[in-house]
Amino acid sequence: MSTPVQRSVLMAGYRMLDLSDEKGLLCGKIFADMGAEVIQVEPLGGNPARTIPPFYKDEVDPEKSLFWFSYNTGKKSITLDLATSEGRVVFQDLVKVSDFVLESFPVGYLDNLGLGYEGLSRLNPRIILTSITPFGDMEPGRDQQADDIVLWATGGMMAIMGERDRPPVRMNLLQSYFHAGAEAAVGSMAAHYPRELTGEGQHVVVNMQACIVWTLMNEQAYPILHGNSVQRNGVFVGSEGMRQRMVFPCKDGQITLLLTGGPLVFSLRAFMQWMDEKGMCPHWMAEKDWSMWGPAIFMNAKGDEVQREIDAIESVVTAFLMTMTKAEIYAEALKRRILLAPVATVVDIATSEQLVARNYFVPIQHEDLGMAIPYPGPFAKLSETPLAVAGRAPHIGEHNEEIYSGMLGYSKEKLVKLRAIKTI
Amino acid sequence: MIPETNRRYAFEGIKIVDFAWVGVGPITSKYIADHGATVIRIESHTRPDVLRLAPPWRDGQPGLDRSQFFASMNTSKYGVTLDLSKPAAQELAKKLIAWTDIAVESFTPKAMRNWGLEYEQLRQVNPKLIMLSTCQQGQTGPHALYPGFGQLMASLSGYYHISGWPDRDPAPPYGAYTDFIAPRFAATVLMAALDYRRRTGVGQYIDLAQYEASLHFLSPALLDYHVNSRVLGREGNRSFRAAPHGAYRCKGEDRWLALSVSNDAQWQGLLRALSNPSWGADSRFVTQTDRLMHCEELDRLVEAWTVQQKAEAAADSLQQAGVPAGVVQTCLDLHQDLRLEAWGMFQYLEHKEMGPSPYEGHQFHLSKTPGELRWAAPVMGQHNEFVFKEILGLSDAEIATLSEEKVLW
Repeated sequence: MSTPVQRSVLMAGYRMLDLSDEKGLLCGKIFADMGAEVIQVEPLGGNPARTIPPFYKDEVDPEKSLFWFSYNTGKKSITLDLATSEGRVVFQDLVKVSDFVLESFPVGYLDNLGLGYEGLSRLNPRIILTSITPFGDMEPGRDQQADDIVLWATGGMMAIMGERDRPPVRMNLLQSYFHAGAEAAVGSMAAHYPRELTGEGQHVVVNMQACIVWTLMNEQAYPILHGNSVQRNGVFVGSEGMRQRMVFPCKDGQITLLLTGGPLVFSLRAFMQWMDEKGMCPHWMAEKDWSMWGPAIFMNAKGDEVQREIDAIESVVTAFLMTMTKAEIYAEALKRRILLAPVATVVDIATSEQLVARNYFVPIQHEDLGMAIPYPGPFAKLSETPLAVAGRAPHIGEHNEEIYSGMLGYSKEKLVKLRAIKTI
Repeated sequence: MIPETNRRYAFEGIKIVDFAWVGVGPITSKYIADHGATVIRIESHTRPDVLRLAPPWRDGQPGLDRSQFFASMNTSKYGVTLDLSKPAAQELAKKLIAWTDIAVESFTPKAMRNWGLEYEQLRQVNPKLIMLSTCQQGQTGPHALYPGFGQLMASLSGYYHISGWPDRDPAPPYGAYTDFIAPRFAATVLMAALDYRRRTGVGQYIDLAQYEASLHFLSPALLDYHVNSRVLGREGNRSFRAAPHGAYRCKGEDRWLALSVSNDAQWQGLLRALSNPSWGADSRFVTQTDRLMHCEELDRLVEAWTVQQKAEAAADSLQQAGVPAGVVQTCLDLHQDLRLEAWGMFQYLEHKEMGPSPYEGHQFHLSKTPGELRWAAPVMGQHNEFVFKEILGLSDAEIATLSEEKVLW
């Protein structure tokens, strides 16, 4: 057994039954980080998310998925076959002593088992059921199928991501599911607060497509307010024909830098000053009035004069950045308060002096693997109720004994029987 | 427990003083505002929220009260102007602190310090205060004071590096990507802190570094590096488990369809939707492993079909056959999407200066205490009179003087 780990007291005493797969796991993880008891209710063969790579030492094994590890820290696991009538009875026993149920089944699946919100609230009026759905719970989207790429597509991000001469491209790493999972945490808490005042739970429905639309940063309004839409354009950002480079090459990678003035003019001036000190700022750029340089000028520009100026500025800046590495540029930018950032890789992040100084990565013991793996630490620092990444993800059914015998008080005979008929 | 049968909103009765600006802070308080809290947004003409200066603007014309970008993030809030560099404004801010449950701010750490409005000072005024500070990299550490915005944070947090095609420069997500990650964490923990205070009477201070919250969306790649020394790069539209999987060109100008086939049932569905093409029986495509191995050939075959289809019709027939599929929707498409319409994704609110314009609805719905966009974002100082008179009880004369002295500015 591993040594007991510290848990947060923020949500201590509340229990969540996490029925979700990769689409919702982050929600349960957030609750576990906040100190709630989160029980992953897995099918007998294990949660399908356990098959998602990468794997520990690339060994394909449901107990070695790093994806699974990431989003199940601090949870417990039981196995239970919800499709059997015995399984449903067991689940009902669990619901009676729980506060939250989280699920990401196809819309209506739990209803058909008699375990939808109506059914659950009869057993426990306090229960909050949070359902993660691709397109909401209403027609015409309720029965449509989506996975990650379809969500990025239908949510509008893909159309504005990628290059002109290639197909639209999605975000990597199944991130639409993380948006949905984190949003499910907000929704669950928004239902929790009034529940504690009224004693009455409710049904929270998360719409994954809507989660992606929100990431568009209000881009949806352009066709209505400006009469046009931004198009995908690789490293360039642009509006109404103007293209401005946002990602620049440097000696060993790339740098993100938005060369606009307005409220950010202090940064642009500091950047010009730096180039000037290195003898790499042509006179016309050193003298330029940068105060209004930005979308307001670009949008009202006629002809291609402004575009030519943007291009000229960018080639000077590129030549300057190419003389240095990401780390050198960022170190100097920090000193000079120039707004830029390296296009960081996981190596840059793992070695970030800021994250190290704040003890961000926390070692989580995997006694079965004989090692501690550094994990992203608490997502916030709380003065009175610190969050805690409370131990490794559970093995399949690791807590069957604890939950079924200990918590529900099932007899040995009953457990033997439930095992024999493959309910747990 | 007193049954509150008349409760309409989840956070009715909760009060927030919102010093925040730009994305993360205002989005966080917006969740609670749209769910019934009284949220007072503190701004100043001396340092307008940069979103007020950013497009999209009504009719494409700039103006402090014309940005839909700002408006979208600040629904259901009251707006006041206070020049916090002035001692009289700081005193008024402290009066609001005495009144409030929650304070939110999102400046670089020295701003609140300079105004004498740090948590340690504010809790003297209100011992049960919950305060959320959210800046890019956290309140402590060598980079704490470094300013920034979401595009830079998305780059720093690794999202740019992994976006796009392996043989090209990054093709980053549009916009300030992490500004749409961090608030999900911030709102959750703020609501939890509120409930903790309800139970215990104890308020607290929350330091949410947008960097640290956002990296949770990168966890598998970080673990992969620590355990396997692998550095995740760009992968285009390739999937580890689905083939075909990608965006396929359709009929029309720059029209695309996304689809994904992860198992045999979906594969059979794909073949049905394509009227059982001869290559469906090809020995290279029998199992999912086979299909992953020959994904490039499959892409070519699928696209040979999609280029002859309208994206909408192709998506419909694939969906009917049980294949996850959808149009790569433009922003204009979003406004015509019947699924989003049924959900209430876009709502037109009447703004004092902009008139009716499209706001985004919420991404979750509560069945019993639903949130709503209660009113459009405030114009600069729109609610000065309401807040300073009705809430703080200042007289008309006092308000006039404070306005004249540009304290309320």
